[in-house]
Amino acid sequence: MATLLEFRDVSKRYGNDTLALSHVSFSVNEGELVSIIGPSGAGKSTLLRCINRLIEATSGEVIFDKTNVQQLSKGKLRALRTKIGMIFQSYNLVDRLSVFENVLHGRLGYKPAFVGALGLYHESEKKQALEILKSLGLEDQVYKRCDQLSGGQKQRVGIARALVQEPRMLLADEPIASLDPSSSKTIMDHLRHISTSLGITVLVNLHQLDIALNYADRIIGVSQGKVVFDGLPSELTDETIRTIYGADSEELNLNIPESKEVARKI
Amino acid sequence: MKMIRTAGPALTGRDPFTAKRIRIKLLTRSALVIRMTILMLALLTLLGFLTFNYQGVNFFKGVAATLSNFKVIFIQPAFAHVTFQGAIGELLITLSLGILTTLLGAVIALFLSLFAAKNLSNRMTSNIVKELVAIIRAVPTVLWVLIFAVSAGLGSVAAVIGMSFHSISYLTKAYSESFEEMDRGTIEALEGCGASWWQIVWQAVIPSSLTSMISWTFIRFEVNFGVAVAMGAAAGAGGIGYDMFMDSSYYYNLHEMGAIAYFILIVAMILEYGSVKIKDKIRA
Repeated sequence: MATLLEFRDVSKRYGNDTLALSHVSFSVNEGELVSIIGPSGAGKSTLLRCINRLIEATSGEVIFDKTNVQQLSKGKLRALRTKIGMIFQSYNLVDRLSVFENVLHGRLGYKPAFVGALGLYHESEKKQALEILKSLGLEDQVYKRCDQLSGGQKQRVGIARALVQEPRMLLADEPIASLDPSSSKTIMDHLRHISTSLGITVLVNLHQLDIALNYADRIIGVSQGKVVFDGLPSELTDETIRTIYGADSEELNLNIPESKEVARKI
Repeated sequence: MKMIRTAGPALTGRDPFTAKRIRIKLLTRSALVIRMTILMLALLTLLGFLTFNYQGVNFFKGVAATLSNFKVIFIQPAFAHVTFQGAIGELLITLSLGILTTLLGAVIALFLSLFAAKNLSNRMTSNIVKELVAIIRAVPTVLWVLIFAVSAGLGSVAAVIGMSFHSISYLTKAYSESFEEMDRGTIEALEGCGASWWQIVWQAVIPSSLTSMISWTFIRFEVNFGVAVAMGAAAGAGGIGYDMFMDSSYYYNLHEMGAIAYFILIVAMILEYGSVKIKDKIRA
């Protein structure tokens, strides 16, 4: 399989002494669903944002589809961002606008500034947005305002906004951290489907170990800004889990064999 | 002076178990400053009353005369020099002055506030615009009208420019603060889609802050209506304020002043009612 994304020795420093990422190197193949796990503050969100340059890396190279992301000009960066969809823990929708308008925002990157600013969309784009909404089970919510939706529905709108971009890669930053278990399952099932059926590469930050084990093709463990594990879910041992979660793993230890068990059953 | 004398022991003797007199509250530095300020204000007020120059005006007679004037104004209103239709016409002129200056202010402020909002602009531009606008706002509207009257001559032109000028600075502050309340994540999400700055502004920032922008604009309109009345008299801008000024200073017709005062009051109440209704509508 072709490599879509590659991190080469990437570091990110905030201020003078906070090192959020330190010499991170890994690669992601096309169509994979890769889960990044690690404790809070390990640098998972920073890592994800370095890919579409919502955060600028301090050193190193991020290669996406054979282009060096760091060296892109402003216009080229916009073009690159259309190819990378992103969903967030807090959904980040415009609450006062309708579901339909929010989903169409995914098309803005393809438009000249003022056409998009006026909210003019092509009929084919609207049709495409409607189809995606239908595939996510939101056909009854099209004209509803986003602040009237439940958390699970909002996250599906977020996914729709990302999919309407026709991305090659989907970044998910803790997509289920504020959702109940059943909505979480729906969202993860959708992400799995996006990766398997649509062939879109998915990179998802998670802090729920059992869910990562269940859904991911590959797991990358991050601790204190360093990649400490990169491999298949089945290769993840109790030992490595302890290195990833550090001293906090005492309580986790009780759950690890259990969650691995659960993962195997599913 | 008693307060100051007790300050010493209260600051040092903090232990209520050993103090001779047990205090409920500790006299901290800020409490002391507040007490001193109130004391100074009381002294100044007293000094003011003692040194007034009454110039032979009997206080009680004066109050009685004022009250009887009020009686004429508010209980016996009548038109004399202006007709009812004429007053409505003049009122429309005043209203137009308010609407025009608010609109001009709102349109220009919309663009300025985009550069003033910290989350949409860079730190330097934001600070420069905010400082500039703060300086303009510090000078009262009436003074701006008089300043512009130097070049435009006393009249409606100076009133429109001066009032718009102050409205711009007021609304720039109000709008930019509404923009700054916008969730950072939403802007980040649209940046992540590849959206440009203008697209983010029109598709996310303005829709999210529209409600508060409209209510700020309405508040400014109410202010501008009041200023427009005053400008009719002070700057010769015409409208209902000018008629009122003529009644009070040349014709000494208190009956007509009363009629005009009621007119203005009714319009102000209608504006207030309308703005509340509109705010309810857009919030739902």
